[in-house]
Amino acid sequence: MDHVDHILVVDDDREIRELVSGYLQKNGLRTSVAADGRQMRSFLDANAVDLIVLDVMMPGDDGLVLCRELRSGRHKAIPILMLTARTDEMDRILGLEMGADDYLAKPFAARELLARIKAVLRRTRMLPPNLQISGAGQLLTFGDWRLDTVARHLLNKEGTAIALSGAEYRLLRVFIDHPQRVLNRDQLLSLTQGRDADLFDRSIDLLVSRLRQRLGDDAREPTYIKTVRSEGYVFSVPVEITELRP
Amino acid sequence: MRATIPLFSSLAWPRTLRSRIFLILLIGLAFAYGLSFSVLYMERTMSAKAVMLGTLENDVATSIAVLDRLPSSERGDLLDWLSRGNYRFELGPGLAGVPDGSRKAREIAGKIEAAAGHRFPIRIERIPGEVNRLQAHLTLSDGSPLTIDVTPRGVMPIAAWLPYVFVIQMLLLFLCTWFAVRQVIRPLGALAAAADALDPNKDGAALSEAGPSEVAHAARAFNAMRERIAHYLEERVQILAAISHGLQTPITRMRLRADMAEDSPERDKLVHDLGEIQRLVQDGIAYARSAHGSGENNARIDLASFIDSIAYDYQDTGKAVTVVGLVQGAALTKPHALRRILSNFIDNALKFAGAAEISVEHNAENRVVITVVDRGPGIPDDMLEAAMQPFFRLEQSRNRETGGTGLGLAIAQQLTAKIGGTLRLYNRAGGGLAAEVTLR
Repeated sequence: MDHVDHILVVDDDREIRELVSGYLQKNGLRTSVAADGRQMRSFLDANAVDLIVLDVMMPGDDGLVLCRELRSGRHKAIPILMLTARTDEMDRILGLEMGADDYLAKPFAARELLARIKAVLRRTRMLPPNLQISGAGQLLTFGDWRLDTVARHLLNKEGTAIALSGAEYRLLRVFIDHPQRVLNRDQLLSLTQGRDADLFDRSIDLLVSRLRQRLGDDAREPTYIKTVRSEGYVFSVPVEITELRP
Repeated sequence: MRATIPLFSSLAWPRTLRSRIFLILLIGLAFAYGLSFSVLYMERTMSAKAVMLGTLENDVATSIAVLDRLPSSERGDLLDWLSRGNYRFELGPGLAGVPDGSRKAREIAGKIEAAAGHRFPIRIERIPGEVNRLQAHLTLSDGSPLTIDVTPRGVMPIAAWLPYVFVIQMLLLFLCTWFAVRQVIRPLGALAAAADALDPNKDGAALSEAGPSEVAHAARAFNAMRERIAHYLEERVQILAAISHGLQTPITRMRLRADMAEDSPERDKLVHDLGEIQRLVQDGIAYARSAHGSGENNARIDLASFIDSIAYDYQDTGKAVTVVGLVQGAALTKPHALRRILSNFIDNALKFAGAAEISVEHNAENRVVITVVDRGPGIPDDMLEAAMQPFFRLEQSRNRETGGTGLGLAIAQQLTAKIGGTLRLYNRAGGGLAAEVTLR
C-alpha cells in the first residue's frame, strides 16, 4: 500500500492556507490546515504528519517560536518548511538555524513549494538521523576551526572569518551533524542541493575538494574529511558545541 | 549690521568668528583702558603743575623779598637756604642767555612778579645749549642783580612702576579676552563637529549637555533633533516594512491563484507582473534598510574565501561569474553589507552582459579594491553619477524588460558609505562597465 504524505499547513491567512492546501492535494498529497500555534499543537497531538509548512509572520506565537518549540518537543523529528516574508538575509538564516529544514520566501511559485516539500521529505528519509543536533546561535568547534552558525562562516585560530558558499556551508553542516559516519554521494548531494541548484548540480567531489581547501586540508592526507573508497566521505574529527548567544 | 560689513570688509576683517570677537573685545577694552589711563595721567599732570607753580611763585616771591631786605653782605649766607630742588638763587648777572618769549616763561615771570608785588620786573632767558634751563634775571632795590637759576624737572605725576603695571594689565586683558572667546567658540565647534558626525543610525555618544545654560540648551536641542531624525528614519523603514508586509499576503494569494489556473499567455503575464511588484517591494525595503544601517559589526574576513564563496554561489546556480584576480590577506569590514554590494554589482553585470568578472587588488594606499567588470553596453560617461541615484534607469539600453527596479546601485552606494568605503563606476577600455568598491 502506498503511503500518502501528510502535510500540515500553518498560516494565519485563510486564503493562502486553502490555496496551498488545494494545490498540494491536487498533486497527490494529504493536507490539513491550522491557523495558529494553538490549532497546530492540538492537531499534532491527535494526528501524525510528515511535514509542516510553517509561516513565519503570524500573530501570537510566530513561526520562529513555533519552530523552536517543535524542535525541542516530542515532534522534533517532523521536517519543517518555513514560509518567510522577510527579505533580510539574517532572518532567513535564523529561520534555518531555528531548526527548519528549508525555507521559501513569500510570494512563491506553487510548483517550487511542491518541489521543496518533496526534496525535504526525500532528504530526511535518505539520511540517518542527526547524531547531534546543532542549531541556532551555536559555535561548532572542531580541530583548528570554529563554525559560526549565525554568520555562516568559519573562524580560524586568529579569529579571521573564512567565508563559505551556500553549498559549502550546507555540506559542512551535514558532516558536522553526522560525525564519524560514512555518507555516500547521493546522501550528500540531496542534502547540499541549494535553493535553485536542482538543475546545476556540482559534483559532490568538487564540493568536497573546495571545502577541504577552505579547511586547509590536504586532499591526499586529509585531517577533517576523509575519503572512503567507493563509499563516500566521513567527517573524522569530534565537534564541540558551544552556545554563541545566551 | 549691513552698514558695518562694507566698512570692515575694506579692512582686513578676519574670517573667523573667533578672531572677530577677539578683536572687538580686545580693541574695545584696550581703548577704554587706555582712555582712562590718559585721563588719569592728564589730571595728575595738571594738578602737579599747579602745585609746582604755586609753590614757585610764593616761595620765590618770599625769597626775593627776604633777599631784598638783607644787607648785600649777608645775602650770600642765605642763598643755599632759599634754594629748592628745582631752582637756586645766584647773586650776580648770571649766564648769558637769549630772551625766552615762550608762553610758559611769560607765565612764570608774570606769576613771580605778581607774587612779589610787581616791584621787580623779571626777564627770563634760555641758556643756549642746555635744554630746560632757564634763568630769571631781576634787579633788587639796592641795584644789585639777582639771578634765579631754574631747572624745571619733568613733571612725573605717576610712579615709575606704573607702566609695568599697565603692561601686566594689558596682558591680563589679552588673556581674559582669549579665554572668553574660547568659552563662546568651543561649544560652537563641538556642535559643528557633532552635526558633521551625525549618524542617526549609530547610537553614538550624544553631545555633552554640560556647560553654561545657553550651551547646554543648544546641546539639548541638538540631541533632541538627532533623536527626531533617527525616529523619522526608523519610521520610514517601518512604513516600508508595513507596506511590504501588507502587500505580501495579497501577492502570495494572487501568485497561488495564477499557479492554479490553466496555462495561458495571460497567466504568464500576470505571474511576470507579480514578480515585478515583488521585486520593487523587496528592493524598496532593502534600500530603506541600507540607508538606515544594518547594525552589522565589523569582522575580519579572509578576502580570497570571501570572493570565492560569492562566485561559487553564482556558479552553483549556473551563472557565469568568475574570479580573475585575487589578493591574499584579510580585511576588516561588514561582510553582509559587502556581500550585498558585490551581489548588486554582479546582478547588474549578469543582467546587461550575461557574465561578470571579479578582481581584488591593493591600491597605492594599500587599500583593498574589489572590482566587478562586464562587457555589456556600459553607461554613458555623463550618466555615471546619476546611475547611483535611486530608481535610475537608462531607458534606451537598460529597459524595463531586463527587469530590476533601479535601486541596486543606490543600495550599493548607501551600503558602501556604511562600511566606510568608496564606490566608483567607470566604463572600461574596450567596452563594458566596471563597478569598483574600495574598502576603508
